[in-house]
Amino acid sequence: MAVSKVVMPKLSEAMETGKIIKWLKKEGDRIQGGDILAEVETDKADVEMEAFGAGVLRKILVPAGETTPVGSLIGVIAEPNDDISSLLAAAPAAVPPQPRSEDPAARQPSPASGPPAPGRPVAVAAPAAPGSESRPPEPAALVAPAATSGGRVKASPLAKKIAAQSGVDLRVIQGSGPGGRIVRRDVEAAATRPPSAAPVAATAAGPEYEDVPLSQMRAIIAKRMPLSKAPVPHFYVTSEVAMDRAWELREALNALEGQPKISVNDLVVRACALSLLEHPGVNASFQGEAIRVFHVAHIGIAVALDEGLITPVLRDCHAKSLTQIAVEARDLAERSRARKLRASELSGATFSISNLGMFDVAAFSAIINPPEGAILAVGSVRKVPVVDGDSVTVGRRMALTISCDHRVMDGAMGARFLQDVKRLLEEPLRLLV
Amino acid sequence: MAAHKVDVAVVGTGPGGYVAAIRCAQLGLSVAAVEDDRPGGVCLNWGCIPTKALLRNAEVLHLVERAADFGISVGEVRADYAAAVKRSRGVADRMAKGVEFLFRKNKITLVPGRGVLKTPTTVSVGADTIEARAVILATGSEPKSLPGVAIDEQVVISSNGAVRQERRPASLIVIGAGAVGVEFADVYRTYGAEVTILEALPRLVPIEDEEVSTQLARAFGRRGIAIKTGVKVSAITRGGPGAVVETDAGRFEAEQVLMAVGRGAKVKDVGLEALGIAMERGFVRVSPRMETSVKGVYAVGDMAGAPLLAHKAMAEGVVAAEAIAGRDPRPVDYGNVPSCTYCRPQIASIGVSEARARENAREITVGKFPFTANGKAVALGETEGFVKVVADKATGEILGVHILGPEATEIIHEFAVGRTLEATLEEMIHTIHAHPTLSEAAFEATLAALGQAIHI
Repeated sequence: MAVSKVVMPKLSEAMETGKIIKWLKKEGDRIQGGDILAEVETDKADVEMEAFGAGVLRKILVPAGETTPVGSLIGVIAEPNDDISSLLAAAPAAVPPQPRSEDPAARQPSPASGPPAPGRPVAVAAPAAPGSESRPPEPAALVAPAATSGGRVKASPLAKKIAAQSGVDLRVIQGSGPGGRIVRRDVEAAATRPPSAAPVAATAAGPEYEDVPLSQMRAIIAKRMPLSKAPVPHFYVTSEVAMDRAWELREALNALEGQPKISVNDLVVRACALSLLEHPGVNASFQGEAIRVFHVAHIGIAVALDEGLITPVLRDCHAKSLTQIAVEARDLAERSRARKLRASELSGATFSISNLGMFDVAAFSAIINPPEGAILAVGSVRKVPVVDGDSVTVGRRMALTISCDHRVMDGAMGARFLQDVKRLLEEPLRLLV
Repeated sequence: MAAHKVDVAVVGTGPGGYVAAIRCAQLGLSVAAVEDDRPGGVCLNWGCIPTKALLRNAEVLHLVERAADFGISVGEVRADYAAAVKRSRGVADRMAKGVEFLFRKNKITLVPGRGVLKTPTTVSVGADTIEARAVILATGSEPKSLPGVAIDEQVVISSNGAVRQERRPASLIVIGAGAVGVEFADVYRTYGAEVTILEALPRLVPIEDEEVSTQLARAFGRRGIAIKTGVKVSAITRGGPGAVVETDAGRFEAEQVLMAVGRGAKVKDVGLEALGIAMERGFVRVSPRMETSVKGVYAVGDMAGAPLLAHKAMAEGVVAAEAIAGRDPRPVDYGNVPSCTYCRPQIASIGVSEARARENAREITVGKFPFTANGKAVALGETEGFVKVVADKATGEILGVHILGPEATEIIHEFAVGRTLEATLEEMIHTIHAHPTLSEAAFEATLAALGQAIHI
């Protein structure tokens, strides 16, 4: 009997709009609570959207391919004889279709090049065109998700509406209003500007550059990283870990039949989980008036994708065995690449780990993902000459660099945490108990 | 013979000139302001302010006359029109003194006399000379007449005469139904004169929305004001009770004729021609920074073109001052200047009329709310009129707002702010309006444009 509204869910903290990739149910289908109704593209990942009410999917208000703000009505579930007219009348008129890229390659710019791996995104997309004007050309391929994005884009309400209707992306417009606010004339000017030149027929030498439109994920990363790096005072502490025994342990474990494979990263996750409980000052978040100290270790594990990266969250790592961590981390990584993450898996980390080990990286430092207080950057396990008494032997070493929010903790605190992680990895049997 | 050396010379101290002078002073520039009347210009001395005082008298008289509606008996009502004019002069004096005070406070030198531009950096005032790095011209405007009709301020009067004269004619013909015409028609009619309005265009207040004109005509008609629209005046002669007006719709006679056919820029003997300052249809041509065709010479206010409104002049004065001070002023948005007329019921509008919005070939939505359905208006006993909101259907952009009714001139500003911020209907309806207020009618009209009005 109950009529339930289907609204665009808020699938992550930063999510402001979502795009319906496709509806998995059609109007008239009977729905049980928990059924997957649609796939939604958020700023971070593609997520399956569950039904909350039971009944018949009476109306789909936002067709596939369209972007709509969080909380807006996108469908109605009700019994066939329920009157839903008032609900439909209250719904905003369907937004006219926005120009979208017809070319799927615009969003998935390149075929997979090598195995996807966790780590920081490699910033290669959309270099500034040499001699390009201050106002960047408007990528025709983008819909206008920012048109409704609240405080992040400074634009007048009218500018936002016109942008949404004309398919102009406010993120690439420079505002001419007070304080750089985007006003109507800016959007209208952008709407009438010809779309950025796609690479013209190649001359003998080929074009000198091309402007690759930002994927939604790349745009979000571009927007968010400065907001992380600039206001959060980072400091870095690096330590080298002797990984010989951990390596042996891992080989031994992986030789066991019927056991899930353990990665170096799994060992690091487990070591961090145990250490975080010992060092709650590192497992903490700056909250303006207070520092929130967590008693659980929800660890974000960065996963590289072709068009960027996401950091799904492995919850309650402190309470999970190494095997559990290995199984669940693998599952998260696979589903990240398949863009099949659930909303709950995209937010709530208390700490993150970024691992570029598979790229033969000696050491690197990562950018903190606020509101988390720290992130650990993991380099490769490398064979290096090791001085042992008076002789030189070959040892396996791995660099760990922790980036810390100085508002939350000081150098010594980060160093002590790192020391503990190092001790756990150097005495790896501790990871099993 | 005195010579002044200043950063900026301002010629004329009406709303354009005195605001420009004060803004210049605020920005650290030394200023000399030239005025051949009292500071404040037509607006403070002979226009906006004294007429508002007269209109207030008319309103009080009207209220007293209908005191019985409120259960108050007042006995015989005697209204002394001369006293109303005296009061109005007092109000004007006070405001002009206010400008003098502001000049002293901002250390602006007031140079009495008629300023004439001699070079782009020299203004002569009688025997005195002002040397300035920049000059702001703000000489204003004066009433126009019809061809062949002389304004003697006795029988054929302009607003200048009307605002000064302490007698109230027994009968008056008002030629021109713009703001000046309908405001004086209101005052004189309330004080008991027989008033006839002659308008060449097909309706009263022709620049306002048609519906405003229609309802105002109805309200005026009820008050015994005769209205003839679409009438062409061919001659005005002495005769009958005072003047005889010949038109293509017959003869009209009255004791006085008020010529309210518009105003023209005061651009003679200012020194414009000698410097070759470019003109455009009788007004000085200016850039968005209010600079004339001669570098360093600026012009603001009525002489710089329509709309001839004090608040537009003030906005231009600020732009000119900031441009001279090396700021980067935001140009005046001429599409967003509110227009206010203080007859009863009041008229206020901003943006385009409904008809114009339709001509612009946009799909529009119109929301209207009558004051009869507004609690505060009913409590006041002022239920004439309505608020009308014209918006773009697709975006909710507020294209125009037209208000006829009590305190319309105060209510309009929420729409002015909204339009400046590029708010759409959506933002306006999520702005909570206090209850009970006349402004709720504005809120409800906005809701109505979205088909969501509650109280209608």
